[in-house]
Parts: sequence; structure tokens; C-alpha cells
Amino acid sequence: MRRYPLLFTVLLIAALVLVACPAPATAPATGGQEAAQPAAGGQEAAQAQEEMPKVIRIGAAVSETGRYAREGGDTRQGYILWMEWVNNEYGGIKVGDERYQVELILYDDESNPDTVTRLTEKLITEDKVQFLLGPYSSGLTKAASAISEKYQIIMVEGNGASDSLFERGFQYLFAVLTPASRYTQSGLKALADAGARSAVIAYKDSPFPKSVAQGAEQWAQEYGMEVLAVESYPADINDATALMAKFKELDPDVFVGAGHFVDGVLLARNAEEVDFTPKAFMLTVGPSNPEFVEELGKTSEQIIGPTQWERNMAWEGPYLGTAEEYAQRYEKRWGEPPTYQAAESTATALALQIAIEMAGTLETDAVRQALLDMDVVTFYGPINFDETGKNLAKPMGAIQIQDGQILVIAPEEAAVADLVYPMTPWKER
Amino acid sequence: MTRVSGLEPVSLFRRREIWIWLGLVTLAALFPLTQPTTARLLMTMQMFLLITLATNWNLIGGMTGYVDFGHLTFFGVGAYTVGILMTRSKEVLFAPQLPFWQALPFAGLMAMLFAFLLGMATLRLRGPYFSIAMLATLLAMRELTRLASPLTGGGAGLDLPPELNRVQEYYITLGLMTLSVGLIWWIRNTEFGLSLLAIREDEIGAEMRGINTTLHKTVAFSLAAFLTGLVGGFWAWQNTYIDPDVVFFEPRNLEMIMAAVLGGLGTVWGPPLGAAVLYWLREFFWSRFLLAHLLGLGIMLMLVVLFLPGGIVGLMGRRGSVSLASLWQLRPFASSQQEENP
Amino acid sequence: MPFLQALLNGILVGGFYGFMVLGFSIIWGVMGIINLAHGEYVMVGAYFAWALFRAMGIDPFVSALLVFPVMFVVGYVLQWLLINRVVERPHLISLLLNFGLSISIANVYKLIYTADYRSVTVPYSGSFELAGFTLPTIKTAIFFAALAIMLALHLFLQHTRLGKAIRAAAQNKEAAKMVGMDIHRVYAATAGICIGLTAMAGAMVAPIQPISPFMGPLFTVKAFAITALGGLGRIPGALLGGLILGIVETLLTIYVPGVGAKVGTAVSFILLVFVLVTRPQGLLSGLRPVEEGA
Repeated sequence: MRRYPLLFTVLLIAALVLVACPAPATAPATGGQEAAQPAAGGQEAAQAQEEMPKVIRIGAAVSETGRYAREGGDTRQGYILWMEWVNNEYGGIKVGDERYQVELILYDDESNPDTVTRLTEKLITEDKVQFLLGPYSSGLTKAASAISEKYQIIMVEGNGASDSLFERGFQYLFAVLTPASRYTQSGLKALADAGARSAVIAYKDSPFPKSVAQGAEQWAQEYGMEVLAVESYPADINDATALMAKFKELDPDVFVGAGHFVDGVLLARNAEEVDFTPKAFMLTVGPSNPEFVEELGKTSEQIIGPTQWERNMAWEGPYLGTAEEYAQRYEKRWGEPPTYQAAESTATALALQIAIEMAGTLETDAVRQALLDMDVVTFYGPINFDETGKNLAKPMGAIQIQDGQILVIAPEEAAVADLVYPMTPWKER
Repeated sequence: MTRVSGLEPVSLFRRREIWIWLGLVTLAALFPLTQPTTARLLMTMQMFLLITLATNWNLIGGMTGYVDFGHLTFFGVGAYTVGILMTRSKEVLFAPQLPFWQALPFAGLMAMLFAFLLGMATLRLRGPYFSIAMLATLLAMRELTRLASPLTGGGAGLDLPPELNRVQEYYITLGLMTLSVGLIWWIRNTEFGLSLLAIREDEIGAEMRGINTTLHKTVAFSLAAFLTGLVGGFWAWQNTYIDPDVVFFEPRNLEMIMAAVLGGLGTVWGPPLGAAVLYWLREFFWSRFLLAHLLGLGIMLMLVVLFLPGGIVGLMGRRGSVSLASLWQLRPFASSQQEENP
Repeated sequence: MPFLQALLNGILVGGFYGFMVLGFSIIWGVMGIINLAHGEYVMVGAYFAWALFRAMGIDPFVSALLVFPVMFVVGYVLQWLLINRVVERPHLISLLLNFGLSISIANVYKLIYTADYRSVTVPYSGSFELAGFTLPTIKTAIFFAALAIMLALHLFLQHTRLGKAIRAAAQNKEAAKMVGMDIHRVYAATAGICIGLTAMAGAMVAPIQPISPFMGPLFTVKAFAITALGGLGRIPGALLGGLILGIVETLLTIYVPGVGAKVGTAVSFILLVFVLVTRPQGLLSGLRPVEEGA
């Protein structure tokens, strides 16, 4: 009865002391500090700041492990690519007459809402970052943006598409990507023009797909299609045959499946199994990813998908060149082609850079005003934020898989191929 | 060894441990005065929350031996109670929206009510059957939360008004932790606690000695749920956003059980100790081997179970610990089974 | 007709469930151990099939045959080294041990294969028509393979020496020990067979489901639900429980508009709690432990 409360005491005191002591007690995530500047914390950084050119500190908590490990990895690579480009090639961000090097502090949030909260606080209060970039996924962005809003630190994000992020009245949150409700717009328009008259929608019940589905319903009606059914399915679905069999009875022209990569694969496969053949098959996240074609083979043929960005889109901007040039640069650096998550992450950081240069100062309010005023075209597409922080200027693209190639079919100004409609039934492949 | 010495009710303030505990709490209460950064404050807060959860879990899992794999359910009930009362009550309940302070007690009460009703059904089950029923309840609740979208916002979740006063939040977590550790310490030193331990050692025997086992189990279960519901409600407010995935977050469920087992089941100081060790291990050790963090947790759980069944506390002083082996009777359905197979 | 088609889809899914649950149900019946790592063995089998398919283009059904001996050895060794140490001890210990094991397996696989979703696409994916019904090719094949394996297992348990020993151990452990049986070797062999079967189910499911290191827990919980429905350690019980779950899930998805698919998932859990609470011995009285103390 005597010894263990004592040990507990010692441990708790030790814990408190560790927390309270000024030295950096917590280690950054492994490989977390991807800074160009060698020094990260403590005195070294202070010395570095005196000798080296001026530095802007930008931070982000991005998943390296956990549920979003994969997309978080792309996001991270996109951010780092921008940082290396801006520091080594571009020569630093232009603020007035001066050039600022970028120190990018990245931590792993473990896809965990508690961790993202803590790390965002840490970035702001301990690492004293001046600007924040977004984490991956709408849920984590929600948790992080509430904190940056409180400290009035600008957060530019490119990986939280849910519309509800922008319904909280936040002043300091900006997103370069097209919001979820517009994901299916250009694709559905192209299909309506080709003669589609009815649609069914299935969505995974989480914030982003739900916004996509609500948008899809609205756009389908606007383009004169009858929406025969809207169904949701659980996040951990492992068999959708029943759902597909139900849709088969309805015999729609267009199927829209809103979810993520894994359920996209599942929906396509189950549709084939029950021989549900609509005239067009649209999935939100899978098709624009080369792995989707690899995984599904001939089943993936002629599936349509919205895309934030594709390397064969016709966008070109003053920084980082055209979309294709960006893709080549990315491939050279990382040894794999960029996903659109990577591209939008680079564009996120780029938007922040442009705003700082426009403002000519690091003052938060000036940069915020510059973001609101911004109207530019980049490799990623046009960026022009509305007053809530959404980028409504960029149209969503639509791609179709044709002979194993991911080809842009809409909107017209970015298209490189014609829509195949109706699609070949599964059985005749 | 299974008969825990010092179980006889003793005058409460004669124990040295209570003074140590009060000293620690005072120390912790002074911590914000040293002007720590909010990140440090948040970290300590999260450790306190883990301690609270592990202690609550211990009340049902450790004291009565009913291993609850779904305790996070009550966290979720609490979180959604606060979420709904703060943002949805006008549309759904036709009642005025409540500020956090008024919503929080309801989080605990709802969780307690839910636990009471659930416990009447599931606490009849023994051994692994109870554990499985609770695991299934947790999974079912997650799906039901998605389904009840007019109330809960479904998968899209609920946005709570962000306030984020970290110092205030710190004192709330400190309060919650003090409350739950104090409660279990008090229970452990009362007749009620003795009865719970008796149930764990031999439920039929306890019943024969005139202990109303159902009542005792249900009360312990509801109390644990009440405190966990409060933690859930607080967490929802602090995180400013809830959806089924972030609320019913599996690693949280796992860490709460792990902390209690690591520290020593059925002891007062084991789970807090286990939680503190686990939290700091994660921060200092695993953050360097991040990819293997959960792997480390899994292996550690196996090692503790195989080689350290009494937990850390059991390692230190035999007298305070109860070996895991005595926790569970082998018969899954002791009471109902015997009636059926005379 | 749509109803019959739905029923047929449910039966096909249910046949797989019945097969998937066998290993879980037998381990529980024979040793009284709840194998919380069950779903992880399904996952291991699925990755085995995926890896062989990617590397050498081996068909998942062939992989299913190959994975059995491999996982038999793994199961045997795990039982010998780990589980046998706790088999005589209270349930809590084996539950926690298996819990730790399941987390470890899943995370080892995550380290090796990353958390990316994988899938196997076989050339014969799709469907065929029979008597006006649409039959998914792979699921039909799995269904019949499952029936064949169940039959084989039944014959094995009835007619071989080892099979008889396993049944004896399940019925009366003490008596089996008394007649000189090495109970731990029988347990290890049982675990080997069960884990081998489970991995086979995993290999077969590879072509119809995305594979990830964290696909396991859902299978484990479904295995619980099926066992609660159908009973413990009995092949017909497993099949019946699987069919009930498969049919209920499928019909709910089709006939509850808007949210049916979600109700389908929730229902298996609610069903489980309900059955446990109202009929703790399982629908067919199969959950009653074969021996006091098992």
C-alpha cells in the first residue's frame, strides 16, 4: 500500500515537469521536420535566423499513419515539392523587396482527431508558424481549422472538400479545391448533353461523399434528369451486391457512386456481378487514379469519374508551368506520377505564396485580403476565392477510362477525348 | 493472495495515499500558472482524459470483472448528447439550445440511463458473452448514429460552436479525473466496493451471502457510464466537431482497456498509472517509431497478459494487486446455466 | 422475381459466411477460446492470394488450396507457443491475448503491404444467367467450394483418428486426458485446421472484396453474430447462421429505402446482442458450453 502511490507520484511529477520544462520535450514525428533549413528548434534556429536569409515558417499536420496514410502521403509530397521548388529554384518568396526562405514543419497526425488538435496547437504556440496548410480529409480539417481560426492564423487547405467546412463562418480558412457539391457537375452535364435522362445515386455516409451526392442530385435535376433513387451505404461496406441489384430493377441511364477509392472498386465489381449495366457509370474518387485501372482491369473500362486535376488538362500558370510540366517535375522528385491530391496540395501552398507576394507583407490581415482578391490561373486551374473561402472559379473535370487511359472528357476547354456513351455492357467486354 | 488485505473499511483520511493524491491534484491545478504553451496544456489534458477513461473502465472491467469491450459507447452517447443539445435541440427537440455548461450534465445522465437499460439486459451475461455483447453494442451504436441523421447529422456530423479556452478545458479535465479517481477510491473503501470485488471473485457465492449482485453490477456499470458520458460530452465540445468516426474512434477504446490492464485491474492506482505510462510511452517512444506504434501496443498487450498479469501495480507491491487469474470464473453462464442443467 | 433474386443473392453471401465462420466456431467449441484474431486470419489469406496473383498470376482458388498447409503450420505453432499457455486460464486472459495478437497481425501487415487497398481481378469476374436468375460467377463458385469444404470437414471429423480426437476433446476434456490423449497436441492441430480454413476463406474472398490490413474486425464480429445465431462448433449450425445473416442483410438493403445498406450492417450487431440477451444459448442451443467450465 505504500510503494505504488509513491511511484505514481514520481511519474506524474516527472510528467508535469517534462511538460512544463522549456526544452522541446516532444520529438517531432519521424521525418516530420522536412525543413530546408537544418535547424528546427531551440537555439540553433535562432542563430540560423540571424545568419541565413529571412525565413517564413509554415506548418501542417498531415497523416503519415492511420486511416489516411496513403492520401496523407500524397499531400505531404505535394507540400514538400512546392517547398523545394520555392527555396531552391524560385529563390524564396518575394515579400516586398526581400526574399524569404520557407521552413515547412510537417507532423504526423496519425489520422487521429486528438492528435491533429494537439499538433495544430503546437505548430501555432510552440513552433510559432505564421501560416498553416491543411491536413488531409474534411473531418481533420474541421478540427484543425477551428483552432487556426481562434488564433487568427490563415489556413489554406486543399484536401477538405466538404461544403460544411465553409458554413461555419470562418474568416481565415481558404480551400483551393472545388467543393464537393460541384464534383459531378461537368460530368453530369456532358452526360445530359449525350442524352442521359435518369440517374441513381449511392453515397458513402461521411461528410465528403454526402456533399457530393447532394450536389449530384441537384445538378442531375438541373440538367433535366430524373433522379430515381438516392441511397447511402456504411463506411465499412464489404458487399454492395444487394444495392446494385436494387438499382438494376430501376434501370437508370446514369449511376453515380460517391465514396472513396475502396468502395469505388467494390461498387464497380458488384455492379458487374449482378449485371447492372447503366448507360454511364460514374464514381467519385477511384477512376482518376491509375491504380484503379490496374486493380479492376477491363471492368474499369468506360467508367467516368470527376477529377480535381489531371496532368493532361490544359491549365498553365506563371509558376511551375503547365499541368504536364508539373507532373514531370513530380515524377522526377518522387518516382511516381502525381495524384490529384498531390497536385492540389502543391496548389494550396502555391496559393498561399501568391497571396503573400501580392500582399507584400506577412501581416495576416493583408494576406487574407490578398487571398480574397486573388484571381489567377495556375497549373492546377483558376484560383479565385469567394468570401467564404471556397474556390468556385475552378471547374471540376471529368475523365473516362478508355483503353486503360485516363482521358479528360469534360469540361470542353480541358477535354482531350470524346465521351463514349452508352458504355459497353459488362458482358460484352 | 486473491484475498486483498486492507479491504476492511478504514477511516478514509487515515490513508496516506489520499494525501499524496490531493497533493498531486493541487500540483496539477497549479500547472497552468507556469504559463505552459497551449500545446503542453492540451497534452496534459489528453493524458488526464485517458486516466479518467481507464479509471472508469476499471470500475466495471476491473472491479466487477465484467470486461467491457464497448465502453466507448457511453463516450459516444455523451458526445452526441452535448452535440445535439448545443446545436440541434431547436429543430429536433423543440427546446432551446443549451450552452455547454447546461448540456454537459445531460451527457452524463443520458449515458447513465442508457447504461442502466443496457446493463439490465447485458449484465445477465457472464464472461466473454458480456464482452461480445458490448462490442456488438458499440458497433451497432456507430451505425445507428449514422442512421439517425436528422438527430445526429449522420455521417456528416455536427459542428459545435468553437470556444477553445484551453485553460478552462484543462480545469474541467482535471476535475473529471479527480472525480473519477476519487470515486473509485471511495468505492474501494466501502461496503459497496467489497461487494463488487466479491462478485468478481465468486458471483454465485456473493449472491448466496445475500449480496444483490444485479443491483451492484448495474450501479457500478451506470456510474462508470455516467463519468465516461461526461468525458464524451466534454470531448465533443473541445473538439468542436463530431461524427461517428471521430467519436467511436477505435484506438481510444483500445487505449482505455490497455491502460487499465497495464496498470493493474481492480486497483485504485493501477489504471491512472497505466494510463500515464501509456500516454508518455506513446509520446516519447513510439513517436520515433511511428509506423509501428499500434504494433508495439499489440505486442505489449500480449506480453503484459502473459508475463505481468497483475499489471505495474502487481509488479511493485503484491499486496495491492489481484492476479488476473482470479478475475474470471470459468463458467460463462453460471446462474442461468445451472437452472437449465440441474 | 426480384424477391427470389434477392433471396438467391442472400444465400450466396450466406454460404460464404457459413464457411468463413467454421474456424471460429470450432475453436470456440473445442477449446472454449474466443478467437478475436479470427478476422485477421481472413485478411492474411486474402493477402496471400493477392501476392501470389500479383507475382505469378496464380488464381485465388488455387491459392486457397496452397494457403491451407501454410496457415496450418502457422496456426499450429501459434497455438503451441502462445494460446496453449492460457487455454486453461480464465477467459479474460485468452481474450486479451488474442486481442493483442489481432492488433499485432494487422499492423505487421500494414508495415509490409501499407494500408493501401488491394484487389484481385480474375478474368472470369462477372455473372451468368440461369433459369432467369443472374448469378455472380465468383460468388457462385465460392458457394459451392464452401459446401464441398464443409462436407470434407464433416467427413474428416467423423472418420479420421485426429477428427475423432478433436471431437472427444470437445466433448469431455478430462476424459480425453484420462485415456492418455495429448490434449495440447490435439488443440494445436485443431487450431491449425481452423486457421487454415479461415485463411482459405480469405483467399477466396480476395477477388470480390478490397483487401486491406484492417479488414479483419468486421469478419470477427460477423463470426460472433453467426455463431450466436447458428450455434457453436457445428457445421450445419454455421451454415444456417451464415444463411440467416446473409439473407437478412440482403433483404434489408433492398427493401428499406435510402438507408437499407446501413441497416444491414447495424442489424447483424443488433441481432447478436438480441440473441445473446434473449437466448444466451444461441438459437439452436448451440452456444451452450459442451462442458461445464469450457
